[in-house]
Amino acid sequence: MRATTPIRLILAAVLVLGSAGAAGAQLTLGGMNVEGEIESGVRFNADDPERKRTQKFEEYRDMGEGLQLDSLRLRLFRPDESYSFELGGSKWGRDDQEFSLSVGRLGLWEFRFDWDQTPHTLSTTARSLAVETSPGVFVLPTARPALVAHNSAPEIDDITVRWDTAKLNLKITPTPDLEIGISYTRIDKDGARPTGVAFGTPGSGFYEIAAPIDERIHDLRLRGVFAREMWQLQASYTLSVFDNGLRRLLVDNPCFGNPAGCFDAAAIPTGQRSVAPSNIAHTVSLAGGVNLPMRTRVNANVSYSLRLQDDSFLPHSNRFTPAGTPALALPAEDLDGRVQVLLGNLSLVTRPLRPWTLTAKYRIYDLIDESAKLIFVNSVENDRVVQTEPRQSGQWGFTKQNFDLDNRFQILRSLAVTVGAGWERWDRGDHREVAESDEVSGKLALDVTPADWLVTKLKYTPSFRRINKYNTRAHVEHSVIEDPATLLQGQSTLLRKFDEAERDRHKIELLLQIMPTDAFTFTPTFAWRYDDFDMGYAPKGVEQLGLLDETSWSAGADLSWAPIERLSFSTGYAYENITQTMRSRSRPVTGASTFDFFNYDWISEQADRVHTVSASLKAALIPKVLDLELGANYSSAYGEVDTSNPLTPTSGTAAQRLTATAKPWPAFQDTLIRLDAALKYTFLKQWTASLRYAFESFEKRDWRTDILNPFMPGANGTVWLGSDTKDYTAHIVGASLSYRFGK
Amino acid sequence: MGRKKASRLLGLVGGLGALLLGAVVLGGATQAAAQAKPAAVPSGFAGAETCRSCHEDQFTKFEKTKMGRLFLRNARNTKESLGCESCHGSGKAHVDAGGSKGVGGMISFAKDDPTPVEKRNETCTSCHTKGERLFWKGSAHESRDVACTSCHKVMEDVSPRSALAKPTVIETCGSCHLQKRAQQMRSSHMPLREGKMTCTSCHSPHGTVTPALLKENSANDTCFACHADKRGPFLWEHAPVVESCATCHDPHGSNKERMLKVAQPRLCQQCHIESRHPTSPYGPREAASLKFVLGRSCVSCHSNIHGSNSPSGHAFTR
Repeated sequence: MRATTPIRLILAAVLVLGSAGAAGAQLTLGGMNVEGEIESGVRFNADDPERKRTQKFEEYRDMGEGLQLDSLRLRLFRPDESYSFELGGSKWGRDDQEFSLSVGRLGLWEFRFDWDQTPHTLSTTARSLAVETSPGVFVLPTARPALVAHNSAPEIDDITVRWDTAKLNLKITPTPDLEIGISYTRIDKDGARPTGVAFGTPGSGFYEIAAPIDERIHDLRLRGVFAREMWQLQASYTLSVFDNGLRRLLVDNPCFGNPAGCFDAAAIPTGQRSVAPSNIAHTVSLAGGVNLPMRTRVNANVSYSLRLQDDSFLPHSNRFTPAGTPALALPAEDLDGRVQVLLGNLSLVTRPLRPWTLTAKYRIYDLIDESAKLIFVNSVENDRVVQTEPRQSGQWGFTKQNFDLDNRFQILRSLAVTVGAGWERWDRGDHREVAESDEVSGKLALDVTPADWLVTKLKYTPSFRRINKYNTRAHVEHSVIEDPATLLQGQSTLLRKFDEAERDRHKIELLLQIMPTDAFTFTPTFAWRYDDFDMGYAPKGVEQLGLLDETSWSAGADLSWAPIERLSFSTGYAYENITQTMRSRSRPVTGASTFDFFNYDWISEQADRVHTVSASLKAALIPKVLDLELGANYSSAYGEVDTSNPLTPTSGTAAQRLTATAKPWPAFQDTLIRLDAALKYTFLKQWTASLRYAFESFEKRDWRTDILNPFMPGANGTVWLGSDTKDYTAHIVGASLSYRFGK
Repeated sequence: MGRKKASRLLGLVGGLGALLLGAVVLGGATQAAAQAKPAAVPSGFAGAETCRSCHEDQFTKFEKTKMGRLFLRNARNTKESLGCESCHGSGKAHVDAGGSKGVGGMISFAKDDPTPVEKRNETCTSCHTKGERLFWKGSAHESRDVACTSCHKVMEDVSPRSALAKPTVIETCGSCHLQKRAQQMRSSHMPLREGKMTCTSCHSPHGTVTPALLKENSANDTCFACHADKRGPFLWEHAPVVESCATCHDPHGSNKERMLKVAQPRLCQQCHIESRHPTSPYGPREAASLKFVLGRSCVSCHSNIHGSNSPSGHAFTR
């Protein structure tokens, strides 16, 4: 399908090389030896999923049929191995192709260039009536069609964003103790992704479109390291530039003119949305380590980052202008965004006595947001109305500090015990719900090696996070100025946000490695974690809201066995179980009043269970002539969200009670099965023919997208793209020929 | 330059390069005369050729590796010129004692080697002190007695790069981190199983300045390396985004959309119990809830959830 001229050229080159090199002979090229391997062949899909079903099938890859270069590795090197040149690559001519070039003087310098293309297919089922007249501008007919007409809208070609990544890397080691590195990476993202543009309530909803992506990331890194046996010093500088070629999205409102399916006579014609602003970050780092007496090692690192962003602001609205509404005048042209990040690390490892190792580590991460603090007298949340509540932009700096102290005792040659303690402190300032928190932790670890065939690693880590106070209204107090109505409708005082609130955590991790012979390894693992957020803050008679607890545990085992040299086998199984309990409350609003009915509480029990199985077999059916490879992977996930009211909602109006009444969700499910088989026949010393077969099957159940159409009756004013990930089954057959250069 | 054009050009360059290579080879394919110069053996050591006389198989494999090519043919200093003995220690006593297994006090790095892991690792870290290995001492792996040879095999080329003990990074890390390896098979995942990323795209197992062995200064800095659009600073920041992407996402893979930890809208509802729409339990099909739960759920409207630079973007809808 995409067999391009270059691939044909490469295949021709392979044939030429193949005919040139007698079996077993060392090829040379201009005094350089040649070694490597090239494999090329054809692929076809015996049972090709229809295009609509290929979103997961081709999520990050190009599964097109036809001729392809599977892989290439060519190394040219001087007979004394001093200089070498290497060319590698795979999937040439396809959307997910990659290649690399490197040249170097062994031990002195190396230059490397990598090119990679990665497609990311986000949807193959989208439909839209909108026409993109220029980048980011989506237009509908002036006389808007009835919303139901969006269901028969033309299908969009795949919504895909492709990442093209180019990396240049030069590493110079003029002496074994000095290394200088320069690298440059450029990532180009080009394509589209589904996104929504909201038009405001009541009446209107949002319109989902395939927004264009035209982004570039430039990353330049310079690094110098000087390393002596007793001390090392490293300095580095990183420049990261994000450049967005898109300025905004301007999207027609499907409800303008109030067509059938909308109940919004005041619907605005067009809405706008900003996109990620271009930005720059500089980072300089200095790190060093020194070995001291008493088997002591001290490492330190200081890093300073400066993040800048000064993209000029869009106007509040494309509808309301400062000329008509002076309060919409912008207080500044841009944010003058400036964030400084200071990172410091200091660690000490000492072994004053042979069986005792003391490790102490301190880390500080200080994010200082010095961006302009701007007050917007009015704003336009959705182009529909001007909001008169003044808003102030926030700055979310924080300081995070960690200190850990571990004592490891090698009690016996086969037994080591580690006892440790840790402390983590967050200083977020009074603009967050929790200004200060301290978390103390303990650690008990056992490393047991009773025999050279058995390794046991067990760790238990309890931790306890405590806070100074919880200010529910901290955020709104800092962002909304002089608007009592908004304050009244704010956050529930019963809520504790899980990322800041008090928490008790217990973690256990166990790893066993059983290796009775060099050819047999059995590795069972187990992990368990319990987080308790329910600290009994709530007054008597009511309950705390938010995430209350989370338990996750996993168990698995891996087995690899090579009973004879010609046969190896491996298999693995992993099970993961995550359960969460959260409690919330439906809080109806009438005018400026929020009603807090305790019988409107609802509890959601979320549970995810995932099974993953893998197996593989490699067998030399006829040694050095005929090889068989088999592989199997199975992954199945089942997620439940069971929501209920602990008390029957009886307060408020009938409509409010209906909204407050909880219902369980249908389960989420997905299953992926992949089977692989390959037969490789080496018919001449350097020629191998391969025949491959793969079966892939994917099934998914997600009630949020399974029957999603652009317009869903009842969801008035809202139009989606109608994207859904479909099940697929594929049978893929491939045949290839590979040639090995050199001896 | 157009993307298709660029792809074709790249392919063309590769193809022409290979053709050129073929033509030159046709003109002068000859037997190579690769001859390594035997290095002088310092006193007290047996020398690599002596090792080879008994360990032919291992030697043949080793001399093809990058380290073998360096030590045996292009040594930069006295230590490297010792070849096998630069890591295994002097073999003279071993040879003088007849060369039987376990005699002579050498470090074999085998599973049954009585040499403590710490001492075995010191052999490697006496040279490999640069880069991330600067932070090896006291790191998560070092402090639990993980041997360099648990992950690396320098005696033969098992992996294309980095002298790994298994063919790929994922297989190497996954031999202990089974659950993380399993997560790459989830429906919502980064392109690890497609071979476009690997564990070391984000982590450095040799120790870093972060507790989770991340390559950059923090979890967010690691994500920003590829997702710099989320870095800001934004006019309107979403506070948990500033602190850690991992508050909402599980980068190792998830069975939820966009690698979220919890299905939307429940994820958002864990922190947002303001009045208005976030607070309703939302069933699967009642009309009033459809636009809040179907499709992309909350982020259908709050589409700039990672931060907004619009003057009216305080609710992340603009």
